[in-house]
Formats: sequence, C-alpha cells, structure tokens
Amino acid sequence: MEEYPDIEITLNVNGKDYTVKVKPYERLIDVLRYKLGFTSVKEGCGRGECGTCAVIMDGELVASCMVLAVQARGKKILTLEGLAPPGKLHAIQKALLDTFAMQCGFCFPGVIMAMKHLLDKNPNPTEEEIKEALSGNLCRCGSYLRFIKAAKLAAEYIRKGQVYFEFKG
Amino acid sequence: MYIPKNLNDALEYLDRHAPDAIPLAGGTDLLIQIREGKIRPKVLVDLSGLKSELAYVKKVNGNIVIGALTTPNDLAKTFLHKDPKYLGFLDVYKRFASPILRSLATIGGNIGVAVSASDYLTLLLTLNAKVKLVSVEGERTVPLEELVVEKRTLAKDPNELIREIIFPELPENYSTAFMKLDRREIIITGYVTVATCLQLKDGKITDVRIAFDRVNKRIPGRARKTEEFLKGKEFSLEVIRQAYNEVLPTEMVRKSDFRASGEYRMDLSKVLMKRVLLKAKSRIEGGA
Amino acid sequence: MALPTAEYVKIVEELFEKVRKFTYVGKHMQRWDAIEKILGKARFTADYANLYKNLAYVYSVRTKYAHARIRKIDVSEAEKVPGVLRVITHKDIPGVNDVGYVIPDQPLLAYNKVRYIGDIIALIVAEDPYVAEEAAEKVYVDYEPLPVILDPLEIVDPVTLEEKKHVLIHDERESDVVARYRIRTGDVKKGFEQAEVIVENEYKTPYVEHAYMEPEAALAIPEPDGGITVIASTQCPYEARRAIAKVLAMPFNKIRVAVPPLGGGFGGKEDVANEIGTKAALAALLTGRPAIAVHKREESVIGHSKRHPAIMWYKHGATRDGKLVAVEARIILDTGAYASLGPFVAWRATVHSVGPYKVPNAKVDTVAVYTNGIYAGAFRGFGNPQIHFAVEQQMDLLAEELGMDPVEFRLKNILRNGDRTVHGQLLDHGVGLEEALIKAAKAADWYRKRAEYAKQTGTIRKGIGVALLWHGNSIGAEGADYSAVSIIINRDGSITFRTGLIDMGQGAIQGLIMLAAEVLGVPPEYFRVEMPDTASVPDAGPTVASRSTAMGGNATLVAAYKLRKKLNEVAADLLKCDPDDIEIRGPEVYCRSNPTKKIRWMDLVEECFWRGVSLQEYGYYRAPKAKWEDETGHGEPYFTYTFGAIIAEVTVDMETGKTYVERMVTAYDIGRVVNRVGAELHAEGGAIQGLGYALMEELVHSPEGKVWNPNLYAYYMPTILDIPKEIIPVFVEAGYIRGPFGAKGLGEPSINGIAPAIANAIANAVGVRIKSLPITPEKVYLELKRKGLIKL
Repeated sequence: MEEYPDIEITLNVNGKDYTVKVKPYERLIDVLRYKLGFTSVKEGCGRGECGTCAVIMDGELVASCMVLAVQARGKKILTLEGLAPPGKLHAIQKALLDTFAMQCGFCFPGVIMAMKHLLDKNPNPTEEEIKEALSGNLCRCGSYLRFIKAAKLAAEYIRKGQVYFEFKG
Repeated sequence: MYIPKNLNDALEYLDRHAPDAIPLAGGTDLLIQIREGKIRPKVLVDLSGLKSELAYVKKVNGNIVIGALTTPNDLAKTFLHKDPKYLGFLDVYKRFASPILRSLATIGGNIGVAVSASDYLTLLLTLNAKVKLVSVEGERTVPLEELVVEKRTLAKDPNELIREIIFPELPENYSTAFMKLDRREIIITGYVTVATCLQLKDGKITDVRIAFDRVNKRIPGRARKTEEFLKGKEFSLEVIRQAYNEVLPTEMVRKSDFRASGEYRMDLSKVLMKRVLLKAKSRIEGGA
Repeated sequence: MALPTAEYVKIVEELFEKVRKFTYVGKHMQRWDAIEKILGKARFTADYANLYKNLAYVYSVRTKYAHARIRKIDVSEAEKVPGVLRVITHKDIPGVNDVGYVIPDQPLLAYNKVRYIGDIIALIVAEDPYVAEEAAEKVYVDYEPLPVILDPLEIVDPVTLEEKKHVLIHDERESDVVARYRIRTGDVKKGFEQAEVIVENEYKTPYVEHAYMEPEAALAIPEPDGGITVIASTQCPYEARRAIAKVLAMPFNKIRVAVPPLGGGFGGKEDVANEIGTKAALAALLTGRPAIAVHKREESVIGHSKRHPAIMWYKHGATRDGKLVAVEARIILDTGAYASLGPFVAWRATVHSVGPYKVPNAKVDTVAVYTNGIYAGAFRGFGNPQIHFAVEQQMDLLAEELGMDPVEFRLKNILRNGDRTVHGQLLDHGVGLEEALIKAAKAADWYRKRAEYAKQTGTIRKGIGVALLWHGNSIGAEGADYSAVSIIINRDGSITFRTGLIDMGQGAIQGLIMLAAEVLGVPPEYFRVEMPDTASVPDAGPTVASRSTAMGGNATLVAAYKLRKKLNEVAADLLKCDPDDIEIRGPEVYCRSNPTKKIRWMDLVEECFWRGVSLQEYGYYRAPKAKWEDETGHGEPYFTYTFGAIIAEVTVDMETGKTYVERMVTAYDIGRVVNRVGAELHAEGGAIQGLGYALMEELVHSPEGKVWNPNLYAYYMPTILDIPKEIIPVFVEAGYIRGPFGAKGLGEPSINGIAPAIANAIANAVGVRIKSLPITPEKVYLELKRKGLIKL
C-alpha cells in the first residue's frame, strides 16, 4: 500500500476548533466519528444514499461520508452532539419524543440534522416541504409519518420561542 | 491530494500530472467510482476551494452562464428556480439525488460524469448549451452535444477542466420542464427521464427541443426527428400522439436491463414526453 | 396424558382472569431508551470502536465466483503487506468450520467450494481498515468454476417437486433439497368435485433485502483467562455464543456475547452474527488484540440472509353459496446457498398456507431447495408474506367468480372461536379476526368506496382492497420454546431488569417493563434495563418470531408476581392487614381497607433487606409443547395466533402503471395491547415495509450469481415520499389466556397482509391482477396494454 503523507487540517465542530492529521482518502465521517468521537454520526451506507451520516456544514446539509476530510478544512460543522446545550433538549428532539417516533434510533441523528436545516431556513414549512427536506433520510423501521408530525410540532415550539427544553435522566 | 491555490494553479498541476491526477469537484460520483474500485487515482486535485472562481450564475451578453462548481443548492437560490421560463431547473432539482448531496454535487460534475442519469445534462441539451473548457493552453468553447460523446466519455483532454456552461437566455413564450419516473420518488435513476424547452405562439409550437436520458446512445440525447415533426404544428394532444407514436420510435432505441424492459421504456418515453410538453405549456400560459 | 400444570402457567392464567383497570398496560409510554437515543449518545456496536485502543481490523476476502471448486488458496503475498497482522483461512480454525443456524452446512471460511457470491475465502486482520482492504487484493485463489444455478426449478420439478439431476451445490449432502413439509386434510379430490367455482394460479415473490440502517458489526476482546468477549449486533446472543464456541473450540462459559441496541434487525441479524461475531472472535483469538469487523453496506447486502423467493401454485375451490371446499398448493422456497433458517421458514409457510379460514379439504406440499443465490433466512413474516400474497389474491378471485363482495366472502369462511384450523387445532378462544375485519371495513368506509370506485372512468383510477392474515406466535414446533427474565429490586428501591431478549427498535422491552410495573405497582421509571449479555442475563431464547411480548412477557409476569407476593407479605405485616389487601402505588404502599396509613416503597424494600427476604427473582416461562405430525400436518403448531385485516386504498396511473398508496387501515387482534406506542409503530412501520415489498423491492442476481443492486441507490426501499397519507391502526383484544394479560405478538404479523391488500386494491382499481412481486409500474402497464385497457 502506498504511503500517503498526512495532511493537517483545522475544522470547527459544534463550536470548537479541532486540528487533526488526515490521509487524503479519509472522509469527514471518519474524522468526526473516530478522531473526534462524535459517534452520533452513523455510517449506514458510505455512499450518500441513506442519510444516516448527514451533518450541517457551513449551513448546508451534507452527507459526511461523501466529503473528504481535506474538503472540510476551515468549515463549521454541526452534529447532533452540538444541537442543544448539555442537560437540554432541542425543540426538534422534544417534538420527536412527543410524537413517539423512536424505534431503533439509528436514522435519528441524520433526520434531526435534516429537520434542523429545514427549520433554520423555513420556520413554517408545509407538509410537502417537510417531506422534501427529509427525502434523503431512509428509515427502515418506518417512522416517516411521525417525522412529519414532529417537524410541524418542532416548528410550532420554535415559533413560540421554546427552542430548548429541560429533561430528567 | 493536491490542494490548488487558484484555478491557474490547478490547471498547471493537471497539465504536469494528468492522467495520474484527477480533478475532484463534489465527489458524489468520483468517490463512488473509487469505492467500487473502478478508478484508482494517484492524486486528487481538490477543486472545492475554488468555488469563488468557479461557482456563479450570471447573465452575460444575452447568455446565462453557470460556473462548473455551482451546486444544485446554489442554483436553487437564483432566478433559475423562480422565472417560469427556467423552471425545468426546479424540476431537475426536486428529483436530483437527495437533499444531502445537493450541496456537494456540481453542474460541471454532472456533465463530466456523462451517464443517462445526468439530469442537468439532459436539461441543458434542450437549452442548446455550450461548455467552456480551460487548460494551461487557454480556453475553448464546444457545444455540449459534441463534448459528451458516449457513456462516461468526453471529448476533452485530461488536462482540461470544465469551466462554465453557457446557454442563450430564453425569449418570450418559452419555458422548460423535466420529468423522471421510477418505482419510487427519490434516490432513483429513473426508468425514463425527459426534458423539454418549448415555445408557443398563438397555440402553435414555434420551437421545441426534447431530450431523453437515452435516445440511441447510452447518454442523454435530443430527439431531433420528433422535434422537427412538432415544429410549426398546433399544440394538441393529437399532434403529440402522432409525434410519439409515429416519429419517436424511428429515432429511439430502448434496451432492456434488470430494471425494466425496452418495451416499457419506449412506451413510458411517449407518456412522459406528452406530460413534459403539457407542463411546459402550462408554464408558458401562466401556470407553473 | 395430562401433566400437572406448571406453576408459571398458573401464574399467567391467574393474572389473565383477574381483568382489571390497568395503570400502565395499554397506555402510551416513552421508551426506556428514548433519551439516550434522541441525544445521539446510544452506543451501537460500531460505536464501541472508540473505546478500545489497539484495535485490529478484520476484512473479509470474498469469492470471485458464485459457484466453484477451490483448488488452492495462496495468502503468502497478503501476509507480507505492511500493517497486516494475520491472514486467516480455514486451516487456522481451531474448532469446527461451520456457522449454520439449523443445519451444519455453512462453512465460515471456504475450504473446498464456494456456493454463493458472499462466501469468504480469507480474513485479513490489519492495523488499519484501509490496509486490510488493500491486502485483500493479494489473496490468490485457484478456482474451478461450476455452473451457477439460480432457478429453483432447475433443482426440483414444478409439479412433482421431485429433485432433478443437476450439478449439486451441496454435494456433501448428496441432495439440494433442504426440507419438505405437507398438509393432508380431508380429501381434496372429492372437495374439488363438490366445488362449483375453481381458481388456479401461479404466484412468485423475489429475494428481498432487510436494508436495516445499521450494517452488521462485531467487536471481540480477548480476556485474560483465555475467554473472548464479543460485542455484536445480533438478535440471538445465545445462538451467536454457540456458533462462536463451536468454531473456536471453546466452552460456552468462556465466550461472552453482549448486545448493544441494534439499528434494525427484522430477522436479518438472526444468524449473520454467527459469522461476523465468529470472524471478530477468531481474529482476537489469533492476534491477541481486540478486533473489529464492520460490514460495508454492499457486503451486508450480499453477505447476510434474505427473504426466501417463492414460487407458489394454488388451486382453490368453493361452492356457489361462498363456502371454501378445497385448497391445494405447491410451494417452492429458494433458500439460496445455505439453509440458514430455511427449514423453519418452510414449515411456517406450510402451517399458514391456506390462510385464516375453515378449510375442510387441503393438500399442501412445500419444499425448500438450495441454489447459488444469496442464502435466504429469517425476515419479518418468515414465509408468511409470501403465502399470504398468493392466498389472499386467490380469495379475491373466488369472490369475483362468485359475484360476492370480498369482505362478505371472507366473513363466510374465517376462523372464529370454536372452529378448528386446517391442522385440526381447536381454537376455543382468542380469535378476534371477525372483529378486526368488521372494524377495518368500517374505518376504511369499505362498502361505499367499492360502490363508488366501480363507476370510474379516465386513466387515473382509485381502488380499495382487503387482505386477512394470521401468524402463529413464537417458534412453534421449531424447538423448545421458553423465555426468562431476572428482576432485581435493589436495596434503594431502584429496579434492575435483565433479559436475553434484545432491542432492535421494536420496543418489546418497554412492554416487558410495563408488565412488571403493572404487577409490582411501581412506575416504569424505576426500572433500568441491562444490556443483554450471556454472562449475566438469563437465556430468554432468540428475539424472533414475534415472541418477545408473549414469551418474555409471561416470564416477566412470573418474576414480578413472585416478587409482589413477597412484598405483599412484608407490607401486610408492617401495615397490619391482609397480604391481598396491599396496594402498591409507588412511591406509596398502603392497605386498600385503610389507605390513610402509608409507608414508602423505599422503606418496604429496606425492611425486606433487614428481614432477609430476597428481592431477586428469576421468571421462567415455557410455552405448551407444539404438536405436529409430519405425515399429515396435523396437530397444534402454535399455541396462539395473531389475526389481522388490512384494507389498502390506492390510486393507479394507467398510462405509467404506477401505483400510489393513499391510505391503509391495519386492524390487528393482538390479544391485549401492552405497549401501545410500540403496537402503533409496528402497524405503521410494517405497513411501510409491506408497501416496499408490494411495489418496489427486489434483489436481482446476474446470471453469474452476482447482485445487480447491492446498495441503497439501486435497491428500492420506501422513502418518506412514498408513504401513504394515513396509516390507521386498529387494535382488537381477543385475549389469549396464556399470554401476558392475554397479549399476542405483532412484530411480524404487521407485514403479512400488506402486499396482498395492495395487490387486491390495484385489481379493484384497474382490473388487472399482478401475480408476482414487486408490482412494478411496468408490470401493471404492460398487463393493461395486453388487455387493451390502455392505449397511448
């Protein structure tokens, strides 16, 4: 196997700067999961086809398995770990709990990122817009109908000014 | 991995190292080709930092110019998604890959990949687009149809990059539309895709261009005989029916594969052609 | 020969009889693990990689050919690659080279033959996953290719079901027939003579992929005493342990299998963990390092079991007044290269083959055969989605011939309390099928819509269709059917719940906690669920066959009941009343006859400690032994059945042939709703998976036995844009006396009836019937074209 030199990059994840050494073939998902420990980012397919690795990069929703680490240099990344302050739930998380959408939970981080991206851009989305925004997130357990309800409910919470919620446990 | 400081830097590097060095734009196709073992580049030239030079949508001298690194999400922020003449771009966008790839994929990349599922390529063919290529030797502009020769085959040198896509602004009474159909609604290749650019004046088809995912090669192409038949005629369902029953089958060959049969694809091409023309017509007449 | 009724059975029956108002059972409650999952903190198997330094990475080198003899395997070049720790072949296996679940026919590492495209030649263990993958290219194999057989009709004759001459796939077994089952009831010849209407058709269903979002993974850690701990994404920790122990030649107690939450299972993680757990364990054993194996999506698709493709011939006969008189069927299941759960799938399909109806005369023959396709095994429904697709269309066709409404026709033939099944099993109670069907028809506005849709014109048509289903709970005659839990009330009053049943998203554990909470009288929040771990939790049997609520639930009731009795005794002594008078409403405990005198739960527990009353209980429940006569298919195959009625509404675009599902009513008799949220999610999720099965899903092999669509781009499972606007779950509670408060399972029944309901709705909409899955736009369009119903 050829020796590829390390490349040093700096990226901002969940508000904090990190400097890491990466190989040219390493992907953003590898850096997030294994170098920086953000395991909420899941690898469901490695090809950008399932949505479980979705993160928000410089305000855009992207498949982190399809971004080479080097291409993420200097960017601002948001993962689920950075969505709400410790001890609090974001309105999206609260809404997903309130609509009892949880099954295996593997697709949830990607879904939550997609909802966050949607609601940041569109605070009052229609059902059509919600479905389009989540159309890249596969859920085999079949919680789709609940995602639609949850997105509407989260939008309502946020409009009322309730962005964060306390929780026990 | 080579990270160029600017476009000229990238071009010089490519000139020295292509084809061992391959340009990387969004990577939504290239990374999969590498994953499947189909390409083994020694060096990737990362163009993602050159967005300021290569991502834009401008009107220049009666043309619309799109930079090669423009992503579908970039396009979505422009007039191309609002002006009824160009809503074909919105149609492509809604069925393009999936939302998590629309900030990574690029229009230049979509053309560069050159497969029948390259939906922007299909649409741009109906806009009579040209492509500006650039290298250390300079620039040259070629019609899109001449650049894309066959599946994954472009008539360009390894040291050339796609710089921008140019097509004439559409005058009055024009509109565009695109359709794609498969077993499910998204993350699909499409059994058939079709794009059109149509002009209607007083109920007559004064100009029409129709492109499909495949006509008779394994890449998107124009159905020119069908276009010729339609030009000058009344826009009516009867005329369209004649066009797809009598003319289209003479220039289109549909093969069978594990996804669908040639017979179904041929018939579906007829149905979608009709529907995409109706969609463009309703946009011209004030709907959307 | 009546044995004295076991104590645990008496406990369950007693609790069933004492019908009362429930505090927790039947309510909407949040899952015990919802918070950690919503925060993204839940640790799935691959997430454990970060917790271990010095990991070695395992990469599977797979075969180039789907069917070939192996002359030589040369790994010498691969071993030399820098960063490679070890290359493992069959020669390095300390124990038995087999990971088969039912039949020992499945080598872990190929030695003389490969039989499908996922077979593994060697394992590369390296410092870095990329190095491991690169080194794989340096493994050289001398193959002698053999003919690839993908059509089961090359293995057996379609009519006689006798084995044909062919190049054997399993030459070591001297036959490629894996299993045969039959039902013989009454006399079908006479039955068909009586029939005034006969309907005969062939139905086909394809290979289907589980497509759970989490690909398989396993991480193995060598322990100081020579044992191995394996963290694995598996539905059957004890079965995985058995397989790993067999390959590593170690005693069971030296192999520990611990199971994090699964990112979906659906049956697909029943036996593949035998393989991936063993791969990781072998690597750990031979290198002395913690070793991790994670399958890429493409590997997962070609490397784990699939749903059995089926070819089914059915002949149904009925009299003019709408009574079924005879059913004859031949069912061929393609189990692919290895048996996996095939023998059991074929049995379940046979048991349910005639549908939930009274059938006086029946002749059913089922055979499961090997081919060179990917091996087929467990997948939600386990043979039932296939046969229901056939049976429920047959029923609709009979109704058409008779000029009867499909719901009315079914009402004339369904099983009710007091009826006997085709196996002669008396169902004296617990049959809620009629209620489910009537409620479904009402919720769907069936009769009005049927009348309305009959008058349509135009090329966009609506349709409404019905399908019934049944599903025997738990494993029936497949083996000894038992489950177990441990409930430990800790000294501070908090409760530890342990069981070998796992969570793959289905949420059954929540139901178990709710049952325990109900019996003990304390809120579910008092419970903490420990990870399923063969070192510390009781063997509860596999998490399969829709058995967790029924079997695990009963075991839970038994443990909770025994604890409650002890608590009642001590509380009665403290509060000076009768033990039966004790009411526990955590955190308060009091006598019903004198509610003002209270003690606290914590204090009651502490008092038990001081009195030496142990508050740790083991609950065990064993199902009544199933009875099955091989010759006739008679007996009592399952102790109870879940029943259901599905009504689907569709819109069909005749010009493109595409079907859009608008709405589904899914009515299920699940005995008693325990975890209401879980039940609703099953109804919705099963409907969506069933929709995929009906309209878009098929895994396609190339003629060489490779897979055309081994990824989530080309394998079409439903996205959020493909779902109906509404899925309406309806629950009927025709309780089964030996279920926990009467409860039955729903995990698999929730997919059985979806595809035939959609197929029947399409037939109602446009007048064509598609007898093979998936019902693609192409199939509908070409059939309409052939019949002259659409012209472009």
